[in-house]
Amino acid sequence: MSDITAKKAKASPTKEFFVNMITRDITLEDSILDLIDNSIDAAWQMAGSHAMTLGDDTDLSAFKITLTLSEDQFTISDNCGGMTLDNAVDHAFSFGRKASQEREEFSIGVYGIGMKRAVFKLGKNVRVRSQFRGDNGSPLSFAVPINVTDWLADERPSWDFDIVEDDVRSEYGVVIIVNELTWPAKTAFGNPAFVENLRRMIARDYSLHLGRGLKIEVGDEQIIGANLELAMSEDFSPMRISYEDKQDGESVSIEMLGGMAAPPPDSVEPDDRFDGDKRFGWYVACNGRIVMAADKSSIAGWGTKDWPQWHRQYAGFIGIVLFSASNTAALPLTTTKRSVDQSSDVYRSAQLKMRDLSKVWIAYTNQRKQALEEAKRKEAAARAVPISLVEVKPAIALPSLNVQRVERPANVHYSVPVQRMKRLARALGNINLTYREVGVRSFEYTYDDFVGDE
Amino acid sequence: MASFDAVNYSLRPSKAIQRQLVFEGIRKLHERLRLSDSVYVGLGSVWFTDFVLAHEILNINDMISMEVDDIGFARAKFNAPYATVQVRKGSSTDTLPELLADRYINKRPWVVWLDYDGGFDEGLMDDVKLIVENVPSNSTFLITFNAHEMNYGNAKERPERIRQLFGDTVPDNLSKKKCKTPRLRHTLAGFAVDFMKSVAATGRRKEAFVDTVQIVYQDGAPMVTVGGMLAAPETVNKIRDAAGNAGWRCRPERVIRAPHLTIREALALQAMLPSEDSLNRDNVQEAGFDLKVEQIEIYEEYYREYPKFAEVRT
Repeated sequence: MSDITAKKAKASPTKEFFVNMITRDITLEDSILDLIDNSIDAAWQMAGSHAMTLGDDTDLSAFKITLTLSEDQFTISDNCGGMTLDNAVDHAFSFGRKASQEREEFSIGVYGIGMKRAVFKLGKNVRVRSQFRGDNGSPLSFAVPINVTDWLADERPSWDFDIVEDDVRSEYGVVIIVNELTWPAKTAFGNPAFVENLRRMIARDYSLHLGRGLKIEVGDEQIIGANLELAMSEDFSPMRISYEDKQDGESVSIEMLGGMAAPPPDSVEPDDRFDGDKRFGWYVACNGRIVMAADKSSIAGWGTKDWPQWHRQYAGFIGIVLFSASNTAALPLTTTKRSVDQSSDVYRSAQLKMRDLSKVWIAYTNQRKQALEEAKRKEAAARAVPISLVEVKPAIALPSLNVQRVERPANVHYSVPVQRMKRLARALGNINLTYREVGVRSFEYTYDDFVGDE
Repeated sequence: MASFDAVNYSLRPSKAIQRQLVFEGIRKLHERLRLSDSVYVGLGSVWFTDFVLAHEILNINDMISMEVDDIGFARAKFNAPYATVQVRKGSSTDTLPELLADRYINKRPWVVWLDYDGGFDEGLMDDVKLIVENVPSNSTFLITFNAHEMNYGNAKERPERIRQLFGDTVPDNLSKKKCKTPRLRHTLAGFAVDFMKSVAATGRRKEAFVDTVQIVYQDGAPMVTVGGMLAAPETVNKIRDAAGNAGWRCRPERVIRAPHLTIREALALQAMLPSEDSLNRDNVQEAGFDLKVEQIEIYEEYYREYPKFAEVRT
């Protein structure tokens, strides 16, 4: 009997299982963003690690992150100070974060998994190189070569990677080179649409960093950060508030803004503009990194209790919530950083404010249908202002409109071949007219010819 | 107006040069990959010039031409140059799905050339998607379209129109300058290639689209021909090597704008070639006539492909 109880049922995971598990739920794009996050964390630390608020004007223009993607190789390099040898030995390559580990304050990396997960997702032959300033001020360089196939095949218990000496380079920073790309990476990097969409994602998700001068290049092209802007005028002013909250005893600062970014659509019919309302909805940033963009789903709260589902009529609205915390674990981040953790307390209390703000906008879009001309005139008078310049204001202000009864409308719907529609649009003066606009103009034209003034 | 009513194909020297370059390029690739038993699918019109080259240069027997117009269909059947040319009545959009489902040909490599006179539009976009997603492995796919500015709206509207046509591959900040003559034609050619690549990469197929052809030529309006192969994984590198080689002629940097020469002029120039030194204007003047420098350069570069009028046979 004692023989049996002395035995243990083996539960240690195999490397292969572990690698499959950590890579299966993350997309290629998010893996690449994870690597960018690490570079940005290093830059932010160099810049003095503090909360990124909208008002903060940290200069990141000395830092540059460069990515190259081809069907044969992926590289990312930065000049953000490099990873120290101690960090490499103790933390950077271990899977997960030790409780005892010192935190990087106000960082975006949370779980101590990003870099490993990313390189496993990308390829089989990896070299991580780092150059940092040693204690005596002179440059120190090392490299961690990872042959994934050999590492997986080695069943001995240690999961460690070897560290080797490396050539000295001109800059302090990290370079990651991935060869023998995985099939999905190879296919994606040969796809111009993937590369362009990655650029768009970077422009959007790091817009707050890019706005502070950080340079990111993808394949020789410098990314220009997306501008988040809200419209202001006598009639329109966005809401901008800030407050403190607690998550598991840790303090989190929150800034919230929202208002009109563009006039709502005249028509709510699904029309030919394929990206008509792509940029509207709610945005959430955690320590400066945008983790949810233009959300129109229940994750922001649309269609949940007391908050209507997103409708095209509401297009034109943008709301932004920025969470910052010295301890990243207090932020409402998911592991892929592509969404927010809806169970987070700080997020749930923010959602109530997000809902109330959204509902004011919804009411306005309902009201404007009865005073469309007046509303359009007032909307056109508003000018776009970068979010950092929006004035602090406890509530959103929208114009009050003189609502008039409108004559009962007739809605028209019919189909014609797209080529003929485009030809008519061109003849009417603009090849990009919406189908609806072509319809309205041809109605007006025919009406004028056949009916004329009554 | 149907294209055969608009113009006599044999009088377009730049188009003729372009066609020769393309078929020679395909021949090299077919030899390198040892492809045989191919099928040619095209828009033969009533001239079938490309069909003649497909048969002569590529040794292709099974050839299918699509013709939408009633009278054009009757004339095409009458003019079909070989016994193995089949003319199908219908638009490419209606006919291609039938051909792709035809078990007699859908396991063999195709050479598909959708040679249009009009601009890139939604119809061509749908055809490109259909072909790139479904054509058999190791097929060659080419499109030709009109790159004249006004096919794409006026200057202000053009970047947005181009985004509508080519989708995600077009950067959000596409400049107006890139959408104007002379850059527009290269802009369109680049996006058309990117579009083909991205359709192949996002589809479920294992073949990648490897681009091999990018030619701008001009007889009247500027025309763009782009294309490549749906390459099985083991053939990708062979195709890239061949098309990246210095002797590869299907990606010329300059627009092919061939001079319209009389037979006598063409023969006089030809008699001076090949020559170690480039032909210059003095040489031409000494021969008794005159041409612009650009015309002389283009002729010298492509004199072997310049149409010989005796060859016109349809």
